[in-house]
Amino acid sequence: MTETNLIVEGFKFMGLGMGTVFLFLIIMIGSMNIMSTIIHKFFPEPQVDNNPSTSVQKDNKNVVAAITAAIAHHRQS
Amino acid sequence: MKNIIIKFLALFILLGLTSVFANEHTLMTTEKKMSEHKEETYKSKPIGEMITGFLKSTGVVALINPSDELNAKGEPMSTFHKGLGRVIMILVTFFLFWLAIAKGFEPLLLLPIAFGGLLANIPVAGIAGEHGFLGVIYQMGLSNEMFPIIIFMGVGAMTDFGPLLSNPKTALLGGAAQFGIFGTLVGAVALSQAGFVDFTLQQASAISIIGGADGPTSIFIATKLAPELLGAIAVASYSYMAMVPIIQPPIMKALTNDAERKIKMSTLRHVSRLEKLIFPIMVLTLSILVLPESTPLIGAFMFGNFLKESGVVERLNDTLQNALINITTIFLGLGVGSKLAADQFLVPETMFIMILGIIAFSVGTAAGVLMAKLMNLFPGHKINPLIGSAGVSAVPMAARVSNKVGMEYDRTNMLLMHAMGPNVAGVIGSAVAAGVLISLFQ
Repeated sequence: MTETNLIVEGFKFMGLGMGTVFLFLIIMIGSMNIMSTIIHKFFPEPQVDNNPSTSVQKDNKNVVAAITAAIAHHRQS
Repeated sequence: MKNIIIKFLALFILLGLTSVFANEHTLMTTEKKMSEHKEETYKSKPIGEMITGFLKSTGVVALINPSDELNAKGEPMSTFHKGLGRVIMILVTFFLFWLAIAKGFEPLLLLPIAFGGLLANIPVAGIAGEHGFLGVIYQMGLSNEMFPIIIFMGVGAMTDFGPLLSNPKTALLGGAAQFGIFGTLVGAVALSQAGFVDFTLQQASAISIIGGADGPTSIFIATKLAPELLGAIAVASYSYMAMVPIIQPPIMKALTNDAERKIKMSTLRHVSRLEKLIFPIMVLTLSILVLPESTPLIGAFMFGNFLKESGVVERLNDTLQNALINITTIFLGLGVGSKLAADQFLVPETMFIMILGIIAFSVGTAAGVLMAKLMNLFPGHKINPLIGSAGVSAVPMAARVSNKVGMEYDRTNMLLMHAMGPNVAGVIGSAVAAGVLISLFQ
């Protein structure tokens, strides 16, 4: 039996190893993208809820201001 | 059929007989020992004889004029390894103390390793031997790959996958940096083919994993594929990890131009808690499907991360991040240090491992930077090539180096969080690479 060429073996390892690493990471990237789209579509972040509530508060303030202004105006007249 | 049965019976009888003989043999030896023990009752000796007897048992005599000692494998040791070799190794451990304390190179690991090495080189006491406490520590958690796994759990609990999740394609940089592992594998077998040194394919693989820049993974692979090289591999791996801020910048600067170094990356989007919670399970599922051999490492890593992100087991998370990883680091360091015994460390292979290790590291860094440049050829958000070097998985040191080099050219360019993406992807990448190497030798 002839001696196996270790360098050729090394290159085989390299091809297989790098191939697997990249394959794994590419699948991982793909599934990460899919996961984030699904999550953003069906389970929106709670932070999104915060913004409307603050804007509602702002609206409330405006409404309150308008009402007080209206009352003040009414009393004056 | 009948023939085979007869042969089997004969074999069993033979085995039975040999075991009986073996039993008798042990019986005889124990009896002999008993009788010897009885003879060894204390006799009064003149004081002069006592003093010379004591002097003969001192370390000085043992180092200058060593008695017959067996190494961990039960083979007789050479005179060099018993005498001068030990003195050299003790001086080496002093040098490691200096590196750890004065230079601040990974002191958390280097100090236990160096002290373990110091203890392992003490003559007569046999601390690193089978019944010495270092030997027991080694048996307890290193020879069965326990400690690296526990360390991985702790690292998982400390890792934040947010930066990776917000910019997934940077994971490719962490993959490219694994080129250092496989490039060095070819280099190591080429060296042994050329006749400089005699590395088997297993040993070459264990050495090349240093290029992954991941201490626990290196130890995991070394104990599986080439336990005889564990000391040198672990020391090379951790000392190069500590030297990341010295080794990487010149390579990063040589491979990039000024404009590339000043690329600003778009700010990272916010990552929801649910994404972070699902991610560990998702990666583990993928590794189960693609490469079950890598699941011990990835599984432990993701377990730690899952506990952290779940947010309901703060106590366990805290233990993993602090108490458990600290205790394990102490044992891991001492256990690795026990392999710094002169007869195992002062061999020609160690020098080649050190050289191959630094090549592996540099190639990995370069591959990461080049991969970033390659990705910039495609349309999409541009990537600053400086974060490519963070693909080697020395977390978070490599990411900090990217940030620092980036700041040198543009004070306002904060790359740290961008570099954390490839950095944690590098951990996953090197665990996958380790799984590939293990599966190839099954």
